[in-house]
Amino acid sequence: MKVTLKWLKDFVDIDISAEELADKLTNSGNEVEEIIYQDKYLKNVVVGKILEIEKHPNADKLVVCQVDIGRPIQIVTAAKNIKVGDKVPVSLAGANLANGIHIENSKLRGVDSMGMFCSIEELGVTDYDGDANGIMILDDDAQIGQDIAKALMMDDIIFDINVTANRPDCMSVLGIAREISALTNKPIKEQNYSYETSSDNVADYIDVEIMDKKLCPRYIACAIKDIKIEKSPRWLRSRLVSVGIKPINNIVDITNYVLVEYGQPMHAFDHKYLEGKKIIVRPAKSGEKITALNHNTYELDGSMLCVCDEVKPVVIAGIIGGTNSCVEDTTTTAILESAAFERASVRRTSRKIGVRTDSTARFEKGVDTSWQSLGMKRALNLVYSLNAGTIVSGKIDTLQKEPQPRQIDFSLNNIFKLLGIKIEQEKVLKILNNLSITSKIDGDTLSCIIPPYRQDIEREADIAEELIRIYGYDVYDSIASKPLSGTSVTIGKYDDVLQTARKIKYQLCSYGYYESVNFSICSIKDREKLLIDENDYMFNMIKIANPISEDIGYLRTSMANSMFNTVSKNLAKKNSEFRLFEVGRIYIPNALPLTELPQEINMISFCSVCKNDDFYSLKGIIENVLRDYDFNYKLDYSRKCFLHSGMSANVIDNDTNAVVASFGLVHPRVVKNFELIQNTLYGEINLDFLAKASLKKHSIKALSKYPPVNRDLAIVCDEEVSVEQILDCVKKSCGKLYYTAKVFDIYRNKDLGNKKSVAFSFKLQSMDKTLTDDEINQVVNKILKDLEYKLKAVLR
Amino acid sequence: MLEQIEQLLNSAKTSLKDCSDLKTLNDIRVEYLGKQGKITNLLHSMKDVAKEDRPKLGQLINNARNEIELLILNLQNELNEKTLADKISKEKIDIFEPSKQVEKGEIHPLNKVFDKLIDACVAMGFTVLTGPEVEYDYYNFEALNVPKDHPARDMQDTFFISDNILMRSQTSSVQVRAMQSLKPPFKIVSPGRTYRADSDATHSPVFHQFEGLVVDENVSMVDLKSMLTELLKMLFGQNTKIRFRPSYFPFTEPSVEVDATCPSCGGKGCKLCKNTGYMELLGAGMVNPKVLEMSGIDSKKYSGFAFGPGVDRLAMVVNKIPDLRMMFENDIRFLEQFK
Repeated sequence: MKVTLKWLKDFVDIDISAEELADKLTNSGNEVEEIIYQDKYLKNVVVGKILEIEKHPNADKLVVCQVDIGRPIQIVTAAKNIKVGDKVPVSLAGANLANGIHIENSKLRGVDSMGMFCSIEELGVTDYDGDANGIMILDDDAQIGQDIAKALMMDDIIFDINVTANRPDCMSVLGIAREISALTNKPIKEQNYSYETSSDNVADYIDVEIMDKKLCPRYIACAIKDIKIEKSPRWLRSRLVSVGIKPINNIVDITNYVLVEYGQPMHAFDHKYLEGKKIIVRPAKSGEKITALNHNTYELDGSMLCVCDEVKPVVIAGIIGGTNSCVEDTTTTAILESAAFERASVRRTSRKIGVRTDSTARFEKGVDTSWQSLGMKRALNLVYSLNAGTIVSGKIDTLQKEPQPRQIDFSLNNIFKLLGIKIEQEKVLKILNNLSITSKIDGDTLSCIIPPYRQDIEREADIAEELIRIYGYDVYDSIASKPLSGTSVTIGKYDDVLQTARKIKYQLCSYGYYESVNFSICSIKDREKLLIDENDYMFNMIKIANPISEDIGYLRTSMANSMFNTVSKNLAKKNSEFRLFEVGRIYIPNALPLTELPQEINMISFCSVCKNDDFYSLKGIIENVLRDYDFNYKLDYSRKCFLHSGMSANVIDNDTNAVVASFGLVHPRVVKNFELIQNTLYGEINLDFLAKASLKKHSIKALSKYPPVNRDLAIVCDEEVSVEQILDCVKKSCGKLYYTAKVFDIYRNKDLGNKKSVAFSFKLQSMDKTLTDDEINQVVNKILKDLEYKLKAVLR
Repeated sequence: MLEQIEQLLNSAKTSLKDCSDLKTLNDIRVEYLGKQGKITNLLHSMKDVAKEDRPKLGQLINNARNEIELLILNLQNELNEKTLADKISKEKIDIFEPSKQVEKGEIHPLNKVFDKLIDACVAMGFTVLTGPEVEYDYYNFEALNVPKDHPARDMQDTFFISDNILMRSQTSSVQVRAMQSLKPPFKIVSPGRTYRADSDATHSPVFHQFEGLVVDENVSMVDLKSMLTELLKMLFGQNTKIRFRPSYFPFTEPSVEVDATCPSCGGKGCKLCKNTGYMELLGAGMVNPKVLEMSGIDSKKYSGFAFGPGVDRLAMVVNKIPDLRMMFENDIRFLEQFK
């Protein structure tokens, strides 16, 4: 929101610099985002009167002018729209204009030119009725030699302030002036808004009916007759322009002026268009339409509050007026509205029709019922002093009583306890009284009388904030204490899922994997690219109702697409031979559209595009990760749609049949869809499962004093016989003497046909003695016999 | 005889002095100490010596033999050492050839900061809690003193799924769930992913927060300040100072923005901090008593503070990352720089 220094000075004396003032405002909660000096581009530009225009001796398109700027100077120009006697802006040496031109004394085709005449663009002027392309012609009353900034009333300083949502009362010049008053200890200047009225009564002109007092708690209407619609005076237009509002005509400008000055949005109707001479504030009827002042037509519904006459809506309440009743050049009688509309209702409607105005910016933050009366008074005062029309006596006001200040008692100690510091009582009273919160202290009791516009103050915490923001937060700069020294002892605790993830993350790092952080929102197109069909649990993706782009319009149901997109982008940048992992969630809805929260499953995914990695590299990682946990699992060929069905596996929990992990080679079509490489390997582990699984408990066996015996065997068996089956058989055959067994080679060739050769080594050990050759051979024979009997495997 | 012994000893010493390899050494041993060796022969010749002189001469010969044996043993050890040293020096490999192990990967800079914060807070007695990212409007807004159609909703553009389900725009939703299920006193932190409909050089639609909440008797702004000072010192160094500026959040009162001295220039002013010496890092404040009450906590007895840094921003400042988007593009050339 913008306010200007001069405007603020109407309400409070300011004797500090603009920068200092901005700092004070920022440090007390009203952040000044920008200070704009209106005359930034107007220095060394003055009012000049053209005395003579002669042809240039050496150029057809140029003329030589003698100009009075308080002293005579000569200027050469190509301008066409000037004549002798015109007053124009003259930029002199040293001027830096808004369009970037720097002015120096110069010679044009051999003739001296001591400056330049300026157009509105060169000056950065936006409010001008003349020819925008030529030189700006000034009003005749402009003083020769005067700084143009003064002549155009563009010598103000503008503050752009970010007013927080809890301070609707600061959305005005008066509101900011009140803050300055509190900060600089200077009183708010009393305003004397007087006007004279005619003898007839507003009731003769209009009647007001409010259908919903909750949505419109106050409505004030006044009438003005004998209106002369014209341009507002320059000072008023200049102020509106400086805060970003376009001047229209005197009546409309007055309503906007009051909006900026008092934060009270107003509206003016042309009386002759109000059918039934009645204002009715009611919800719109479904299907009703209104063409608004922005020239768009809106279809209304029952959720939208409107100001109507007997027949039609004339304003969308608090948002925008209709063209069907606005003040125009032919207006002679107008009704002025100063009303309060409920903020939530205004906000909802504004969002629904997509219109935001200076009025909604105030109403949706909250305009309470104490402002309308003052707003109307100021508007009528302006009508009177601008001589814009005759004010009809009386007003219609739907609220009989002005809202009263509230008295609240607080405990001073509680306030200090919250702040952790004490502030001297004298200072407390001064700060609050300067904020117009009339206060007194009796023992621990702080009694405050809170003005109606400070609806945000209810509790001790609110008073604490008022005190500290004016007192200054820098009081804490020098305070140091041991952290949390005053609080109870609590025992810290990690989160199981996060800790499980952290452990696995470090394991993956040691295998050369880098952690990536991908978006968990994705494109619906990824579903097709992953080959997910409609029966898959990954098919139903939750849609974001208001996405900022289709690429991130859905919640992912798999970690794979995020990973593949990231890998693909890396490959496109000619990065190669890398490994990535990600910890994140997938979002599985129970049904769509969503009526309850979806399942959010914590996963870790990992992907390698390294030449030397294969299925077994991933298997090794998975085995090492799972080894810490106390649950039994089996492997099965994976049915994940995006993995190669013959070269991928699922890890399945024996107890629940849950898929704990999937890993393997990526499906060739998915490789193509995401533009990956042929040997792309991908794995994912369900972190929620592991976080719940208990860690292995160990009970340690005694160590044998006798040496172990190592033996190797190679057998030939059917392809279907698994390594697991062989080792299991060996273990059983060894009985009590079993120590370890592992496969070290698997060999296939044509001669073996549909069979494979498996070489394994095993260790035997006794707790009681050194094993003899006889005993060892017995075991070897038993192993071979059992393998043949159980698995039809023979010694190679 | 005496002379003979003396001579033998001297000649043995001379031979050993010239000996430089194990083979010659062995020859010398055989020459003097072998079955047919010179010492052995000398002992055999004892039979020609007078009986009474035998013990004395025998003693002398034994002494000479012991001396030669010792010299041979010493030289043998010496020569062994030398041979090994020669062997080792010939077996030298090029230690500058590349190693064989897989080069280790790295944790993402964002999560390095998360882990640091989590560890520090657990050590200070905080419990780590997580919650849903797809959340009810109630937990994300209403229970945090932001009713439907409240102007404070404009402070953040929220992704909606339906009228009452949204993508959480702040991890404060976890705090509401905690306040409703835990009994004070408690200290919690909730790290996690958050979403807002905003995307440019300094805003990502997916970003990360780390919110802390302490509810106890006698909690004040001073506790908030000292706790945050500690956390930010841990991230940015022991000389870090922080300052409060007034702000507004619906769920805290008073509310503050927290600035820390710029870790790049230490507060002197530089490009990174736009010459202010400070960096705006997080929002914080005393928990609004309304919020405590909405969650069933007695606001007369208990107060609390809350703080919520954006972790993406912290990671950027810690690592001087020039563009937020780099954090989520996961270009391996970016990630590799954190080795």
